[in-house]
Amino acid sequence: MLLNTVIFLPLAAAVILLLVPKGDARPAKAIALAGAVATFALSLAFLGAGPNASAQFSIPWITGALPASYHLRVDGISLFFVLLTTLVSVPAIWAAFSYADQRRLRGYLFLLLAFETTLLGVFTAGDLLLFYVYWDLMLIPVFLLLAGYTDSAAARRAAWGYLIYNGAGGLVLLLGIVGMVAVTRTFEVLGHSFAFSAAAEPWLFAAFALAFLIKTPVFPFHGWMPATYTQAPSPVVAMVAGVQSKAGLYGFLVFALPLFPNAAHRFAGPLVALGVISVLYGAFTALGQRDMKTLVAFSSLSHLGLVILALFAFDITSVPASILMVVSHGLIAAALFLLLGFIEERTRTRDLSAFGGLGARAPRLQVLMLIAAMAALGLPGLSGFAGEFLIFIGSWQTQPVATAISLLSVILATVYVLRVFQGAMNGPLSAPADARITELRPREGWLVAPLLAAMFWLGVWPAWLNDRTPTTVGSHEAQTAVPHKAQAIAESKVLSGLLGASETAR
Amino acid sequence: MMQLPAIDYAVLAPLIILVATGLLVLLVDLVSRQAARNVLYGLGVAGCAASFAASLPLSGRTVTTLSGAFAADRFSWGFDALLLLTLAVTFLLSSLKRAEDGGSPGSYAALLIFCTVGGMIMAGAANLIGIFLGVELLSLALYILAGTGYPRQASQEAALKYVLLGSLASGFLIFGSALLYGAAGSIALADLATAAASGAPLFVAGFGLWLVGIAFKLALSPFHTWTPDVYEGSPLAVTAFMAVAVKAATFSVLARFIYTVFQHDSAALIPVWALAILSMLVGNFGAVRQGNLKRLLAFSSIAQAGYIVLALSGVGSKGLSTMLFYLIAYGFMNLGAFATISLLGDGGEEYVDIEGYRGLFFRRPWVATWMTIFFASLAGIPATAGFIGKLLLLEQALGGGPWGIAMAATLILGTLVSFYVYFKVIYQMFLPAQGQAPQFAGNAAASWVAIAVGATGVMLLGIVPQAFYLAQPYLAAASR
Repeated sequence: MLLNTVIFLPLAAAVILLLVPKGDARPAKAIALAGAVATFALSLAFLGAGPNASAQFSIPWITGALPASYHLRVDGISLFFVLLTTLVSVPAIWAAFSYADQRRLRGYLFLLLAFETTLLGVFTAGDLLLFYVYWDLMLIPVFLLLAGYTDSAAARRAAWGYLIYNGAGGLVLLLGIVGMVAVTRTFEVLGHSFAFSAAAEPWLFAAFALAFLIKTPVFPFHGWMPATYTQAPSPVVAMVAGVQSKAGLYGFLVFALPLFPNAAHRFAGPLVALGVISVLYGAFTALGQRDMKTLVAFSSLSHLGLVILALFAFDITSVPASILMVVSHGLIAAALFLLLGFIEERTRTRDLSAFGGLGARAPRLQVLMLIAAMAALGLPGLSGFAGEFLIFIGSWQTQPVATAISLLSVILATVYVLRVFQGAMNGPLSAPADARITELRPREGWLVAPLLAAMFWLGVWPAWLNDRTPTTVGSHEAQTAVPHKAQAIAESKVLSGLLGASETAR
Repeated sequence: MMQLPAIDYAVLAPLIILVATGLLVLLVDLVSRQAARNVLYGLGVAGCAASFAASLPLSGRTVTTLSGAFAADRFSWGFDALLLLTLAVTFLLSSLKRAEDGGSPGSYAALLIFCTVGGMIMAGAANLIGIFLGVELLSLALYILAGTGYPRQASQEAALKYVLLGSLASGFLIFGSALLYGAAGSIALADLATAAASGAPLFVAGFGLWLVGIAFKLALSPFHTWTPDVYEGSPLAVTAFMAVAVKAATFSVLARFIYTVFQHDSAALIPVWALAILSMLVGNFGAVRQGNLKRLLAFSSIAQAGYIVLALSGVGSKGLSTMLFYLIAYGFMNLGAFATISLLGDGGEEYVDIEGYRGLFFRRPWVATWMTIFFASLAGIPATAGFIGKLLLLEQALGGGPWGIAMAATLILGTLVSFYVYFKVIYQMFLPAQGQAPQFAGNAAASWVAIAVGATGVMLLGIVPQAFYLAQPYLAAASR
C-alpha cells in the first residue's frame, strides 16, 4: 500500500491542484509542494528495510496466454533511484514557482508532478510490461513541458528531438520485450531466468540496450540531449538530467543484465568502448561550449559514460559504485541546472562570455555554486569523488586500458567546471545591460540546500549507500525462482554470476 | 420444383430488425415531412439497440443459415456489435446543429442504416456472392453519403471520386470472384480451400483480383489514393463512420477468407503482407505533411489498416481475437477523435485545420485532454487501448516467420513516424494561443456522449485489457 501511495501521491496532488480555481496561483503552489514533500517523506520509509529485503505489491493485471501483473517492489537497487526521484522532485517543483506566466503555472506543476509519478513507476515496476508502460509515459510530460512552457523556436525543436529519439528507443524496447515474451511467455521476469536461444539473445539484448543507451544517453545516441538540456526550463532539466536519465542504467541493472547475461558479456567490449568515447567526447565538447547549460549537458555525457564503463567492467567494486555514481550525478546535475537557472534569471543570458563576477553581488549564490561545482569535478568529501574513485579502482581490475583513458576526464572536468565557476562568479562584475544581478533569495537557497546536503552525506559516508545495495544484485530473487537449467541458475545470480564469470576469465 | 433453403430467422433477426428500422425511418420521413431529424436519428439509435438485443441470443453460438451462405458465430457477433456501436455514435454526431445531411435527414439516416446492414452481411458472409452483396450494399449507400455535404464542392468531388474508383474496385472484386468460382467450382469459401491447396493459376489470378478489390475498400496502399480526398470531402459524421465501419466490415471479410481458404499456406499471402508494409509506410509518411485533420486521419487510417493486417500473419488461433481487439480499439479512438472535432464546430467543418487548434488546451482543457488521449492512443502510447492493440499485433507478427518480423519492424518504424503525426496535433493544442483566438464554442451533449463512449473504450481496454478477455467467449473464435 505504501508503494502505491508513494507512486500516486504526486499524481493525486496534480489532480487536486487542477481543482483549485484559476487566477490565484498560491493554493496550487502549496498543494504541489506539499505533495512533493509528502512523497519524499513517505519514501524514506523504504529505508527501514534491510539490504536484500524488498517491499512488494502484486496483483494480477492481465491473465491468459501472456500473463502480466501489476507488480511493484522496492529492493536494494531501486531504493536509491526512488529516493533520488522524490528528493530531486521537491526542489524542481519549488523552483518552478517562479515561472513567468503565473496563470499557466497550474499546468506546469501538474506536468511536473505527473512526471514524478511516471518516474517512480519506472523505478518500482516489477513487471516488464508495467515498466514499459511507465517508461513510455515519461515522454509525454517532458514533451509537453518543452513544447508548451518554453518560448523559442529552438526549444520547440528540442521537444521534437526529445520525443523522436526517446520514442525510437521506447519502440525498439517494445520490440525487444515482445520478442522476449515469445520465449518467456510472461512479463513477470524479475528474479527468474530464462534460456534464450543463442541466435535470439544478442538481438534481444541489443534492443534493450539501445533504449537504455538513448535514455542515459551515451555517444552516439545523445543527439536529443544537448538541445533538451539547454532549452528546457531548469526545473524540467533538473528532473530529466537528474532523474530520468538514470533510468537507463537502472534498466541495465534490473532487466537487461539479469535477462541476457551471455549477450551482456559478449557486448561488454563495444559497450565499454562507447562509455569511454562518451567520457572523452563529452569532456572535450564541454571544454568548447559558451552556453553554460550546454556545457553542463556535455559534462553529463562524460560522467554517465563513466557509469557505463563501470557497469560493463563487471567488477565487484565498479558495479555497485556505478549506482553510487548515478545517484551522486543525479544530485549534482539537478543542483547545477537549478543554480544555472537562477543565474540565467539574473543575467538573462546563458552565454558565459557575456557575463562574469556575479559573486561580488551574490555571495550566497557563489557559495552554493562552489559546492555543486566542486562535487561535479570530484572533490573528496563530496559525493562525486566517492563514485568516481570506486569506479576507477574497480574498472582498473578488468578494463585497465579503458580506465586509464577515462582518467583523463578527471583533469578535463576540472578545467571546464572551473571555467564555468570562475568565469561566472569570480573577477570583476560584468553583465548585459538588461541584467538584474541580485543576491540569492532565501527560497532559492533553501530549495537547493537538500541536494547539496545529500552530496556531503554521500561524500563522507558512501558506505551508507553501498551497504544497502546488494553486491549480488537480483540473486536473492533468482534463488527462489524455478530456473530452466542448472546452467541458468549460475547465470541468473545476475551480478554475482557475471562477476564470477569475469573472475574465471581473469 | 426448386428446393428453397431453410431459413433460420433467429440468425437473421439482427439484420431484419435493422432493415425494418431503415424502412421505418423512410416511412416516418414520408408521412410527416415535419419530423425533426433528431426523431429520425433517435429511431436509428433505437434500431441499433433492438438489433443488438436480437443478436444477444446468438452470442457464443456458431450457426449457419441459407444453406451455409450466412454464418452467425463468435467472429461475426463481435463485428456486428462494433458496427452497431459505430452506427449509433454516427447518429449522435449527425444530430449536431451544423452536421450536414444533404437537406434530407430521412434518406441520410436510412442510407447509414443500410450501409451498416451491408457491413453486417459482410461479417457473416460465408460465400463469394454474400461477400459481394455486402460490399456493394455498403459501398452504394456510402457513395451517396459521401456527397451529402454537397453545397461544398469538396463533398461533390469526394462522392464522384469514390463512386468512380469504388466501381472499378467492385469490378475487380466480382471478376476475381468469378475466377475463384471457376477454379473451385463452388462459391462457398470452405470449398475454395481445395483449389487454394492445388495452387491452380486460375485460383491465383482470381485471388489476386479479389484482393485488389478488398484492398481498395480497406484503403491499403497502393490502392489508397481515394482516401484522403473522400475523407476530407465527406461530412464529418460520415467520415467517422467510414473510418471505422467500412474498415471493420472489410477486415471481417478478409479475415474469414484467409482463415477459411488458406491452411497455414503463407506463400500465397505474401502479397497481403507486402500491402501491409507499404500501407504502414505510405500512411504514416503521408500523414506527416497534412495540415488538415481529416486528411491526417485518412492517412492514419491507411497506416492503421496496415497494422491490422499483422493480426493475420502467422495464422494461429489468437489472430482473430487480436484483430478484433485492435479493430475495437481503433473504433473507439477514431470515434472519440472525430467526436472531439465535431464538438468544437457543432458538427460543422470549422475545425479541420490543425493550426486552428492552437491554444485549445488553455481555452477548453477537457476537450483538449480527451483529444490528447485519443491521439495518444492512435500513436500507441501506453495506458490506452492503442498500446495493448499494438502489443498484441507485434506478438502475433513475431510468430509469423520472416514476413512477420519484417511487418513488425515496419510497424515500429511507422509508429515512430506517427509519433510526429499525432503529437503535432497535441503540440498545437499546448502552444499558447496567439492573436485572434478561435471561439471553440461548440458544447453539444451528443458530442459529449460520443466522447464518453470513445474515452471509456480507450481507457478501459488500455488499463484493464482483461475486460476484453473476459468477453472472449463471446468474441472472435479461437478455432476455425
